[in-house]
Amino acid sequence: MIVQELQKIQERCGWLPPEELVGLSTRLAVPLHRLHEVASYYPLYRLKPPPKVDIKVCRDMACHMAGASRLRAECEAVAAEYPAGEVAVSGVSCLGRCDGAVAASVNDHHYLTRQTAEALRAVIASAHAGNAPHAHHHKAKPLGFKIDVYEGRPEYRALAKWLSNPDAAALLKELEASGLRGMGGAGFPTFRKWGAVRGAPGATKYVVCNADESEPGTFKDRELMISAPWLVVEGIILAGLVVGAGRGWIYIRHEYPEAIDAVRAEIARARSAGILGSNILGKGASFELDVFVSPGGYVQGEESALLEAMEDRRGEPRNKPPFPVFQGLFGKPTVINNVETLSWVPGIIIHGGAWYRDMGTRGATGMRLVSISGDVAKPGVYEVPFGQTMRELLETAGGMAGGKAFKAVALSGPSGGFYPARVPVGELPPPFVAKRVPAGQPYFEILDLQLDFGTCGEMAAMLGAACVVYDETRDMVDQARNAVEFYRNESCGKCVPCRVGGQKLVEMAGELAEGRSPPGRLELIRDLGETMGITSICGLGQVASNPVTSLLRYFPADVGAVRGGRPT
Amino acid sequence: MNLIHHDDFGPEGLEPSVAELLKVPPVTLKIDGIEISVPRTILATDPNTGRKFPRPTTIYDAAIEAKVAVPVLCHRDHMTPAAVCRMCTVEVGGRVLAAACHRAVEQGLDVKTHHTSAKVKKAVGILAELLLADTRAPRGAHLEGGNELHAVAKGLGIDPAQPPRFPLTVRDRGRDESSLVIAVDHAACILCDRCVRGCNEVRNNQVLGRAGKGHMARIAFDLDNPMGDSSCVSCGECMVSCPTGALSNRAVVEAKPWAAAKTSPVSPDDLLSHPLFDGISKAFLAWNINSVVRRTFEPGEIVCREGEYGSSAFIIEEGELEIFLQVELKHVAKAKGSFRNSLMGLVRTVVPGLSRRETPSEAPDARRNTIPIDAPVSLDMAKPTATLTPADLLFGEMTCMSSYPRSATVRAKTRVRLLEIQRNVLYTIQRSKKAKSMLDEVYRRRSIDSHLRGVSMFADAIPDPAKFRSFVEELRDKVRLVRLNPGDTVFRQGDPADNYYLVRVGFVKVSTRKAGGELAIAYIGPGGHFGEIALLSRMEELGSSVPPGIRTATVAALDHVDLVAISPEDFRHIMDCYPAIKEGVLREARRRVEQNARMNRGATDATLGEFLKQGLMDAQSLLVLDLAKCTRCDECVKACADAHQGVTRLVREGLRFENYLVASSCRSCLDPHCMVGCPVGSIRRRSSREIVIEDWCIGCGKCAENCPYGNINMHPFPTGKKAPDPDNPSRQLPVMQQKATMCDLCASLDGTPSCVYACPHDAAHRVSGGQLMALAEKRLAASP
Ligand code: SF4
Ligand code: SF4
Ligand code: SF4
Ligand code: SF4
Ligand code: FES
Ligand code: FES
Repeated sequence: MIVQELQKIQERCGWLPPEELVGLSTRLAVPLHRLHEVASYYPLYRLKPPPKVDIKVCRDMACHMAGASRLRAECEAVAAEYPAGEVAVSGVSCLGRCDGAVAASVNDHHYLTRQTAEALRAVIASAHAGNAPHAHHHKAKPLGFKIDVYEGRPEYRALAKWLSNPDAAALLKELEASGLRGMGGAGFPTFRKWGAVRGAPGATKYVVCNADESEPGTFKDRELMISAPWLVVEGIILAGLVVGAGRGWIYIRHEYPEAIDAVRAEIARARSAGILGSNILGKGASFELDVFVSPGGYVQGEESALLEAMEDRRGEPRNKPPFPVFQGLFGKPTVINNVETLSWVPGIIIHGGAWYRDMGTRGATGMRLVSISGDVAKPGVYEVPFGQTMRELLETAGGMAGGKAFKAVALSGPSGGFYPARVPVGELPPPFVAKRVPAGQPYFEILDLQLDFGTCGEMAAMLGAACVVYDETRDMVDQARNAVEFYRNESCGKCVPCRVGGQKLVEMAGELAEGRSPPGRLELIRDLGETMGITSICGLGQVASNPVTSLLRYFPADVGAVRGGRPT
Repeated sequence: MNLIHHDDFGPEGLEPSVAELLKVPPVTLKIDGIEISVPRTILATDPNTGRKFPRPTTIYDAAIEAKVAVPVLCHRDHMTPAAVCRMCTVEVGGRVLAAACHRAVEQGLDVKTHHTSAKVKKAVGILAELLLADTRAPRGAHLEGGNELHAVAKGLGIDPAQPPRFPLTVRDRGRDESSLVIAVDHAACILCDRCVRGCNEVRNNQVLGRAGKGHMARIAFDLDNPMGDSSCVSCGECMVSCPTGALSNRAVVEAKPWAAAKTSPVSPDDLLSHPLFDGISKAFLAWNINSVVRRTFEPGEIVCREGEYGSSAFIIEEGELEIFLQVELKHVAKAKGSFRNSLMGLVRTVVPGLSRRETPSEAPDARRNTIPIDAPVSLDMAKPTATLTPADLLFGEMTCMSSYPRSATVRAKTRVRLLEIQRNVLYTIQRSKKAKSMLDEVYRRRSIDSHLRGVSMFADAIPDPAKFRSFVEELRDKVRLVRLNPGDTVFRQGDPADNYYLVRVGFVKVSTRKAGGELAIAYIGPGGHFGEIALLSRMEELGSSVPPGIRTATVAALDHVDLVAISPEDFRHIMDCYPAIKEGVLREARRRVEQNARMNRGATDATLGEFLKQGLMDAQSLLVLDLAKCTRCDECVKACADAHQGVTRLVREGLRFENYLVASSCRSCLDPHCMVGCPVGSIRRRSSREIVIEDWCIGCGKCAENCPYGNINMHPFPTGKKAPDPDNPSRQLPVMQQKATMCDLCASLDGTPSCVYACPHDAAHRVSGGQLMALAEKRLAASP
């Protein structure tokens, strides 16, 4: 209620005037501090009247590489040509358009890609004159991926098939056989999650689709929702019917207006076609589905933070246990699945678990979508088998841009840290070295890494859907500093290690980049990183130090260059 | 999963009752190698929060039991765990560490704290260093209790005076000195959330929140208003909750005038030397310096009088006091049924001879031989006086906590020294584990004898004093004390039965579910008891009239309540050993079962709607004037006055509903608010459901205050006594006695109230809420 009511006020007034908040407080019988807690927490809300033109330039990974900070400075100079306060320029976290770096937004709802200073100068002038910005929004296009079993047509055959013999246990078996795992990064087996919620006590259960794709470098769910929204809709209905949930929501980041529109349209269509509602396909089953537009923030992708937002609070992750499968939305057992995970379900029902399982290569299971960005020739979303090597993935994306040499890769956005082309064996788990590194070779060639959960697990690496590639010209100290800034900016601020530690990491990465680290600093960074990793409440704080600790571990030359070779 | 699921506790995820909590089997775990068994869930410790959900026992709770010190900053026993500072981090075997203050205990858990785990020690050290590098000690503010962050750091071997290893870049996050009493220094804040929970959860003032996000987050008042312009009521809870002095006491607030002479303020240090204050925050005592005074009384001086209102309790430091009832008890004894249901044994003025009404025809209560009062002792009916000494610690808790009038008079026997404390200080004492256990001990050692003697069912069954003493001895260490907050549920209808309960302090409400809502059956106060029905049925003694072992009603605390729980085993043992008790209990149980059935039969089934909103549906009986017929002749009012000693209880004005005027007369509500809090139990519900006020009303006016419809009026009645006129001492004036009056449906007349009977125009009717609605609908349908 609060989240949506605030959104309504903002749509009407352009911001949240205090009188409106006082009125809302009376109307909802909610104390003022509760409204302010929510309103001041989410980036979507404005507590001050907006400027005439508000430009936000993405400051993260791919955009940073493409010169976002210079672009921002140039824009600020342009803004200074206008009367004070009329044109504002600021930074913003990854907009999920990393394949079109540098990405930017104009007046909140309009998104631009591949920006240059000249282009933005024109945009500012036009918006200042009162014209609606011409946004570069993504359009639906045939995916041509195996995941879209209906090849562009919303057929809902999987739902019809399952409803003709609604055997939940059999479906869970099929999911187990498929080996389908969570595609949001954690890789939790889907059948197990569904089974847990199905088996949890209580009559009321929920399904939530996590479409808050905000990890820098990730934009695959965007494509799925825009071009094949029926898959996620069908997947979530099936999840609901199997676990016994009557309601579901698709929680989409507000920076994806195209996806929000596409999914909403598909839900409306499904409802009028009798695919949603109280008598699904005439079989008497019922399920209701809505879109929940996120008020913003990377940490909302953390599932319990997402639930907090849906429950009208500051989207701060919960202390766990209890886990959402037992106590999720409003304390009820809740399935939370990523868009892609749900979108694979129709195919698995139609063709069977083995169909999905056998798509993997080199002994790995299944297929996945991956977003690749940075210094590659063709950044974008690709459907690739699990087990494919990093080298193959790079080739799929057209190889290195400009023919430069490969220097480093982030396998899971900033979360997993950076890997160099050659990882010294001393830094790798011995069993992995024994199995994967030719005898006598002092390093492991990262391009040979098989990208699947098993192999990455053996290497103690995270496998996400965001692959960001760096070429030989990149200064990894600068990249690491940029990445820890991202975590500092996106920390919810609930727990001390992340709130304070994140800020200290930024300060210490700054010292590093400017070559002014005092003695003992590197050790302190490592200790802080370890502490944040084991004491933070949620995954954000737990991984926030990875960019800088991986820098210290794998890129001593880069560190040494700025430090002028000084020892610590 | 070891956590409580709301769904596990009956329909609609209702909170578990105390009874359920007490029966969950304990778990055993190891903390730093020490094995310890703890219950799976515990009740929140704060009597002040009104929080209804018990919480799972945490590793931190268990560590306290095991006497392993775990550092905490954001955690307070009386608050919902927030687990944000991570200072209490421990190893439990997972990939990441766990916050002891939040993580629930699990069977077989092997916990390692910073005492035994190098990994934990390093991590919490870093966290303390982070906070030290991010905050500055509050500027100018005095912090009586010391800076907890500094104390925790020192405990971990970190010297807060040394420059931190981390870059020290404390941004000036600003100060707020707009409040006259509390200064805010954001740069000293560690965002522990204690003030926020203090304001909203403990005090329910709903002012404080966290604003902003990430490293920019900070506390904020209302819509981030300056504290002085916010809706803050300056209660100081946030300030006393703050571990770092980020919220600090700006000025010493002007002393609140204490009415009594011979008082002296008491310094926090002085108080801390008293064992009851052990462990209470010095900052809190400093802030509340005006809520405690030391008073001395010479022999013979009166400390407080029965019937007086008050908001304080007394701690006995030195000397002996006499506690007694001033009222002449033989008068009371003559007034038939006076002490039946007498909840506190308090009578200020007794007005015999006024009663012309029948005494209600209920099964008579067994004879009472002691009177429960608001002190660790009960008074003997034959000789209502007792002695209080420093070993009794405290008296007047009930008056202080729940605003009941004083139940007895207290007079100094020797020269005495007392600490008189206000409610906020008493709250805090009751919140402290140490003080609670002392008070419990006082109950076991000193109060249990007279308390049990006051339970007539026991006392009557064991007339032999020696036998009674051994009966008390048997129970002394077996009973368990349970303290409830207002609104807490003891058990719910349909729950499996566990204990038998005696009420020591406060009131509980007994109610049953029915179609239209909830029907309050009885209110039980000090000296009362409940919970036998389900236990007896389990023993197959009650026959088949009640389901075996299942609670037949819901019992919930109305105010701050202390219960004494007797386990089913002990209860059964008593039944077996003392057949006379068994008989009495059975008789009482049968009476209650019958009464419940009668009430449930009689209660009207109500439908919902707009009507309900007006509270009328709740009414069993309304006096309705049909305005289409009423000529305003006032015959009804006159008839009422005639029937009630010349004072009308009917006022011909009130709420309009359609063309009907609902006069202000008692509605015999399903849940009669008026019955709560009568210190002498003279307003009560007869078994036929109507509410009556008995003659021993002392005129305190509590019921009139409590009736939400204003249907109870206070009227002076002559007592028949005379007293000298203060203006002209030679003249005698009649002494008037205030008494509460309300419509009694003219119980003595054969079913028809006088007013209805008297109306010459057939305009006055007695109807139920449901009937009135039907009438109105009929009329609506008939009108064009
Ligand atoms: S780790 Fe960071 S994002 Fe997660 S709860 Fe703690 S402060 Fe919030
Ligand atoms: S002093 Fe004000 S802000 Fe602090 S707890 Fe009391 S009401 Fe809340
Ligand atoms: S002001 Fe004090 S109590 Fe409130 S969050 Fe800050 S440190 Fe904690
Ligand atoms: S005035 Fe009401 S509450 Fe007070 S004694 Fe009389 S009946 Fe009881
Ligand atoms: S849109 Fe800029 S990094 Fe993703
Ligand atoms: S005391 Fe447990 S996290 Fe703060």
